[in-house]
Amino acid sequence: MARSEGLPVPGSRAARPATEIDEVDLVPVRTYWQLVRKRFLQHRLATIALVLMLVLVTASIAVPLIGGDAWFKTSLTHGPKDPSSLAAPLGYDNLGINIFFRLMRGLQTSLTIGFFAVLIIAGLGTTVGSIAGYVGGWVDNVLMRIIDIVLSLPTFFLVLMFVAFMGQGNVFVIIFAIGLTGWTTAARLVRAEFLRLRESDFVQAAKALGASDRRIVIRHMIPSALAPVVVASTLGIADSVVTEAALSFLGFGLRTPEASLGNMLTNAQDYFYRQPLWIWYPGITLILLVLAASFLGDGLRDALDPRQRIEA
Amino acid sequence: MASYILRRLIQAIPIIIGISLISFLIVHLTPGSPVDKFRTPRVSPETINNLIRLYGLNESLPIQFGKWFSKFWTFPFDNTAWGYSFTDGLPVRDKIFARIPSTLWLTGMSLLVTVIVAIPIGILQAVRQYSWSDKIITTFSTIGYALPTFWLGLMLKQTFSVQLNLFPLFGQNSFGKQGDLLDLLWHLVLPVTTLAVIQVAGWSRYMRASMLEVLRQDYIRTARSKGLADRQVIFKHALRNALIPIVTLLGLTVPALLSGAAITETVFSWPGLGFLGVQAVTERDYPVVLATVMIGGVMVIIGNLLADVAYAVVDPRITY
Amino acid sequence: MTRNVDAGTLLEVRDLRTHFATADGLVKAVDGVSFSIRNGATLGVVGESGCGKSVTALSVMRLIERPGRIVSGTIRFGAQNLTEVSDDEMREIRGNSISMIFQEPMTSLNPVFTCGNQIAEAVSIHGGMSGGEARKRAIEMLAQVGIPDAKRRAEEYPHQLSGGMRQRVMIAMALSTNPELLIADEPTTALDVTIQAQILELMKALRERNRMSIMLITHDLGVIAEMADDVVVMYTGKVVEQSDVNTVYEHPHHPYTRGLLASIPRLGEKRDRLEVIKGVVPNPLNLPAGCLFQRRCPSAMPICDVAPPLQEVAPGHLSRCWLTPAGGPPSVGEDPGTQVALDAAVALSVE
Repeated sequence: MARSEGLPVPGSRAARPATEIDEVDLVPVRTYWQLVRKRFLQHRLATIALVLMLVLVTASIAVPLIGGDAWFKTSLTHGPKDPSSLAAPLGYDNLGINIFFRLMRGLQTSLTIGFFAVLIIAGLGTTVGSIAGYVGGWVDNVLMRIIDIVLSLPTFFLVLMFVAFMGQGNVFVIIFAIGLTGWTTAARLVRAEFLRLRESDFVQAAKALGASDRRIVIRHMIPSALAPVVVASTLGIADSVVTEAALSFLGFGLRTPEASLGNMLTNAQDYFYRQPLWIWYPGITLILLVLAASFLGDGLRDALDPRQRIEA
Repeated sequence: MASYILRRLIQAIPIIIGISLISFLIVHLTPGSPVDKFRTPRVSPETINNLIRLYGLNESLPIQFGKWFSKFWTFPFDNTAWGYSFTDGLPVRDKIFARIPSTLWLTGMSLLVTVIVAIPIGILQAVRQYSWSDKIITTFSTIGYALPTFWLGLMLKQTFSVQLNLFPLFGQNSFGKQGDLLDLLWHLVLPVTTLAVIQVAGWSRYMRASMLEVLRQDYIRTARSKGLADRQVIFKHALRNALIPIVTLLGLTVPALLSGAAITETVFSWPGLGFLGVQAVTERDYPVVLATVMIGGVMVIIGNLLADVAYAVVDPRITY
Repeated sequence: MTRNVDAGTLLEVRDLRTHFATADGLVKAVDGVSFSIRNGATLGVVGESGCGKSVTALSVMRLIERPGRIVSGTIRFGAQNLTEVSDDEMREIRGNSISMIFQEPMTSLNPVFTCGNQIAEAVSIHGGMSGGEARKRAIEMLAQVGIPDAKRRAEEYPHQLSGGMRQRVMIAMALSTNPELLIADEPTTALDVTIQAQILELMKALRERNRMSIMLITHDLGVIAEMADDVVVMYTGKVVEQSDVNTVYEHPHHPYTRGLLASIPRLGEKRDRLEVIKGVVPNPLNLPAGCLFQRRCPSAMPICDVAPPLQEVAPGHLSRCWLTPAGGPPSVGEDPGTQVALDAAVALSVE
């Protein structure tokens, strides 16, 4: 009773030949980036983290712009005893500086340092890693040894030394120090990806289909290799910010009157007895930043490469 | 295995040379000369020149490096192998060796606490995945991991020491109580907690992930199909496999035993190697700085080797 | 296939339903499956990937984990209903009266324990044997499954053995407790063809020796022909055809079974193209109404919009299709009103 013609008869599903595949049968096809976005948004925490991150970044840019010099302007009329007001939601510190504006300025500094340090890390790491992974051979060997050496050195201590000897309190030195000591992980990740991709089936298949090297590298290898770098960079921002804060806290990083989350904590330490809240302001800001970056990194990792996900 | 270890040690030599080079260069390429701190008006130029000759600073860099490097390794026999401290003139090696036990107490205790706490937590979380306890612990873990060491140390110190007066404020022993174990432990509580909170947060996540990965495996299904009770499946079949990466992690934590607590030590004025290092940097005590960095680097190499060896011991699939 | 199989029923599954509540929706992996296995007989369960055969096996063993669960149905094993026994009782049965072997010998053995250890474990938890006795039994079993130098092999780790050897170890482990029923989930799929033949021979020898029933799950019709006494054909969670192996192979009724058999190329045959079953398996999250095979069926009729019942087309031969035993449209007509068809479905159904 089967019809051999393809014309469907209205009202008779059975008469339609089975060579047509119904939409009902298949899951709709999406591009890679659409899938990435979908997977990311499914991760509720990561989405919240993204929003939080955006809020923090925006605040760190906007508030200092609005506040102008409020972040370092000392005052004799205002002090710690002032209750919080709209103009000074967190009150004033022992020098009469508006804490909120100083906090945001500190956040801005920290984020700037973190951002540029990560830029160095990502840039240097990707360059070295891709060369090592792509060229291979003795070049790869030498580069790997260099990475091993840098990785073996105690990182924080090295940054400390660098900053202390080359220019305490100098923002550029700090950025440079953090960047120069942190690029090795990114390099390893990129190298691993390039090595893997070079031999992967889909690259071989693309070659077999006649794709040019340039097309292969740009369209196939780079997105895959970038993914771990993006994840590492996000987490790296958190790391860099904390490192800078630690440096400032210990007195090697930014010093007053410069504002840093770290040196605000140093100040807060001295006044803890009378003003216990002062420790919490920069602390919570720092923790929120780290949490946001962590979840963002996690979400990105899951979205960009679901194979790595542990929980089904 | 023995040949593998030997091979690794030989491979480590260029790395050690590299570490030494970098450490040496950072110290010697800083602007100014290492003896600058001595250039006060009261010190005569001859004294400065004598110092320069004493520390061999007038010779070319490669020669300085060669001399320093070859002397460095005689430390088991010669206590001047690492030079003399710029701060107090004592032999650097003695200063450092004196501090090692303190650091080991701190990091050793926190490692112990971490292992005892994090592993059961990780197992619990994996077995009860998605349950309330899992979610609560994960929340605490995430927050704990995000806490900066110095902030946590500061908070603990201010809250429990300053305000509540429950624990001592700084140092390793109260006055006159050297060698008193109980007193030492009392002083250890806050710094160890600082380190351990963050470490436990990290390790329990690792343990949980490892356990989850193992529980998904086919051989766990086989074990269940044999009629094994849940307890046996988890603690005999799963755990044995899940602990393998943890053992590697242990090996990788070895380097941190000596150099990983610099910040905590500074916050609590704990007389360990890290604190010494930070002080040395502040005081421009280059011989001490150099020695500290070298020790850190060598420990990393040893730690990596230990991790790989431990891995082979624990996993029968690995042979070298 | 004339073997000495008695008529007593060892396992009887009635209307088993196992559903999975996934994030994307409810997947009815097993939806109303019934069959029985006689003492000493081998039941072949055949079907494409995803048709629910493995889930059926795991349901019998009660090894279904979240988000899946056995929603309804009975699994009668001896005097007990396995869907209702307690966890402790089920553990007594697992690995003891009912054993299971799996598809991937590579990953189904624990890599950190020796082979002998794993076999001995199976025996000691059920048999109450001492450590030494269990070890002896393990070596015995290894020899029985044809592993040379069994004593030495018992001390080796799974990764030191080849795939075929590992599968033998799995079989040894499963059989060490003398189970009455062995469930074999694609036991030879991951192995080379030559090793496949060896394993099948081994299984035949062991089932004779131990008077054991086997539930053999596979998508390979050749293996079924070799081993099975009875056959159950599954499609998207339901049984679509069921009979003894000769009937199914020589007189297949359901269009799906016919399609499967027709797609096997035969030696000596000259063809330009292979026969295929058109279309794809329906998305389990979006199953169509009516007969699930309708869209791919060469004999589809309008009445197939109503899900056909499992009918007896011949004594002992069931088929879930509206077609009569002769292959023509049903007595209620090709295109009856829905209610008529529904009533007929209820009347004709043997479920």
